Amino acid sequence: MAPTLHALSVAVEAGKRNDAKQLTQTLLTEGMQPLDIVEKGLVPGMSAIGERFKNNEVFVPEMLIAARAMKESMGLLEPLLASAGIKPRHTIIIGTVAGDQHDIGKNLVSMMLKGANFGVVDLGVNVPAAKFVDAARTHSAPVVALSSLLTTTMPAMRDAVVALRAAGLPSLKIMVGGAPVTADFAREIGADGYSSDAASAVDLARKLVGE
Amino acid sequence: MTARLLLRLADGPVRELPVAPADTQHDLATLLTQAGLPLNTRCAGHGWCRGCTVTLGTERVRACKTRFAAVGDSVVGIPNPAHLSAAPSVGATFDIDTPFTLAPPFPIVPGHSDTAFAVDIGTTTVAVLLVDLLDGRILSRAGAFNAQLRFGDNVLTRIGACHDPARLRDLRAALVDDTLPTLLAKAAARAERPLSRLCGGSIAANTTMLHLLLGIDPTPMGAAPYTPAFLESRTLSATALGLHGCPPAIPIQLLPGFSAFVGADLAAGVHATGLCFDEKPSLLVDIGTNGEMVLHHEGRLLGCATAAGPAFEGSGLLSGTRAHSGAVCALRIQSSTTVTPGTPPQALFSLETIGTTPPSSASGLCGTAYIDFLAEGRRAGLLTPSGRFSRAFLDTLPPDCLARTPHGIALSLSALLAPASEPAPSLGSPSPNTAHGAPSALLIGEQDLASLLQAKAAIAAGLGLLLDEAGLQPRDIGRLYLAGGFGMHLNLANALAIGLLPGFSADQLRVVGNTSLAGALLACLDSSALPAMEASRSLMHIVGLSSHQDFENRFIDALELP
Repeated sequence: MAPTLHALSVAVEAGKRNDAKQLTQTLLTEGMQPLDIVEKGLVPGMSAIGERFKNNEVFVPEMLIAARAMKESMGLLEPLLASAGIKPRHTIIIGTVAGDQHDIGKNLVSMMLKGANFGVVDLGVNVPAAKFVDAARTHSAPVVALSSLLTTTMPAMRDAVVALRAAGLPSLKIMVGGAPVTADFAREIGADGYSSDAASAVDLARKLVGE
Repeated sequence: MTARLLLRLADGPVRELPVAPADTQHDLATLLTQAGLPLNTRCAGHGWCRGCTVTLGTERVRACKTRFAAVGDSVVGIPNPAHLSAAPSVGATFDIDTPFTLAPPFPIVPGHSDTAFAVDIGTTTVAVLLVDLLDGRILSRAGAFNAQLRFGDNVLTRIGACHDPARLRDLRAALVDDTLPTLLAKAAARAERPLSRLCGGSIAANTTMLHLLLGIDPTPMGAAPYTPAFLESRTLSATALGLHGCPPAIPIQLLPGFSAFVGADLAAGVHATGLCFDEKPSLLVDIGTNGEMVLHHEGRLLGCATAAGPAFEGSGLLSGTRAHSGAVCALRIQSSTTVTPGTPPQALFSLETIGTTPPSSASGLCGTAYIDFLAEGRRAGLLTPSGRFSRAFLDTLPPDCLARTPHGIALSLSALLAPASEPAPSLGSPSPNTAHGAPSALLIGEQDLASLLQAKAAIAAGLGLLLDEAGLQPRDIGRLYLAGGFGMHLNLANALAIGLLPGFSADQLRVVGNTSLAGALLACLDSSALPAMEASRSLMHIVGLSSHQDFENRFIDALELP
């Protein structure tokens, strides 16, 4: 592998955002294809930190710092990917449910998914159930991911699941997460999957799209 | 045959608790609460925390999620940290920095009806004082845990519980039938003055507590746009409030608040610190589960609440506990720079506890001790900037001081205690730990450190954004008033060292104690206080942090240890 690509993976894993941005720029200048930079530079870095997280070798603060470094790199790559018409195989709709304005956890999941080469449509925070339904339809997304950070907005998560189930999208899968959410709650509201952290959210998403 | 439960408190004898047939479908936490042994059900029995962990044979289980039927003949062991401790450390002292005159708003008859109460209802603790309105003298103080704790340890859990109207009634009753009358009676006994001499009272509290006190549905505050049913000050009679034990017709004033999460406790603090009269811009910061802050600048107030999470209250940490007697409140690392080969590593830590408990039998660590650990650990090279144990440092320690937990490695402070930090055993009443048996080791894990860094970053990011909104730098602030019990016991140098208040220096900080209680007291002493607090509401602009675009960036910037 090109030494610069490896350096990019290392920079992302270590959360060095200035390095990540510079190395991405260097690779582009050298003529490397944006998709290759994602697949061979960013994906290995993010999956390495995801693995270390699952093994309790790093924790949420380091994940956040790494995800921000990746975001810097993606900021350069995404416009190029879009203009070249390159679309990831699977697109996931993600958002924080109605009444809840917290986005740090959701943004981390979103970055981890991008780091696993998923396409992500981030609807932001305080997202009404109908907006999830519209987006799932518009993007023909196989998965919708719902986040809730407050015990008091968990009912809105249930509402979103009900609305998505009523939308007539038989193959749609719904995954849920967020600090107060539990596997029991996910089952109770009829979600297809629950993940307790951003690293296992990637595994769950892969499972739900049948990879 | 009546069913029974076999219980053992720490290493005490096994006791039998009879269980009525109607109660056999309950979980252990419910049964034990009914039996007068309330456990630390800080997540309201949802099974989200480990507060009520008990042992069942060799197994560790959550009492709130274990049904009586599943216990059989096993002995349920209740370790110390699982108890909802009965002796909290409640901040009931404060500085008053604002001028006032003794002109009470209540009708006074000397010797007959000349006493008032001031109350601060916190989510965790409640503080009460009695004051003589003839001379403004504080007669007595009393504090206790808020009896609502068994319904959840944070305001959002309690707000969520109120979707059930019966639970709203329970939460109100916990205050008006339990915590408040108990504390008033205690304060009256200490003052040797009957409650019949009360002629009025004032109550400061966060917005949720004031809703629950009046039995008003707080659920609209549980989700954006977080709409409270009321914020303005209210005055009602003791009877209307449902408060028994004092003269029924006396007026009780509830202080006004600014928003759902910047409440009357902050309005009271703004008034008591007199920060509106400071020449330079000034800040009031109250650190708890939420970090609440108010900035005064050019005649305006800017406020925000930042969700720090419960880590600073010890929740979710391996050996974390709230501030109460028997808890470690301060910590030092002996070798101040690095480990020197001559220093026996067993003497790494010296600990201070609240009360007379020796450090070796401490029940847990409270938030201020964790702040010390972060600062001292970083200084000594034990911690890296990302809040991890330095592997090189760990290699210098004996292997038996490290523990593997399901969430990564942990360091046992107990294995590394300095003998010098052991005071002579007290000859007075037995310490909590001799009463409950041997304590478990004090552990700090890397997962704990990660939670603490996130709590720290939330406070630091909130503070930074508030300054940004006003176009100010930390050096522009004349005074930063640090309010609340946490600020009271904090080692300020360590708080600054870990970047909790980034950019500030010690000479700007002023620890002012329970300014919420101070504001309630001023509302009893000076009839101009309540109108002044009411007027301050119109000066306030609330900054919503969770939706603020710069919050995440600032939060991530503040995660590392300087």
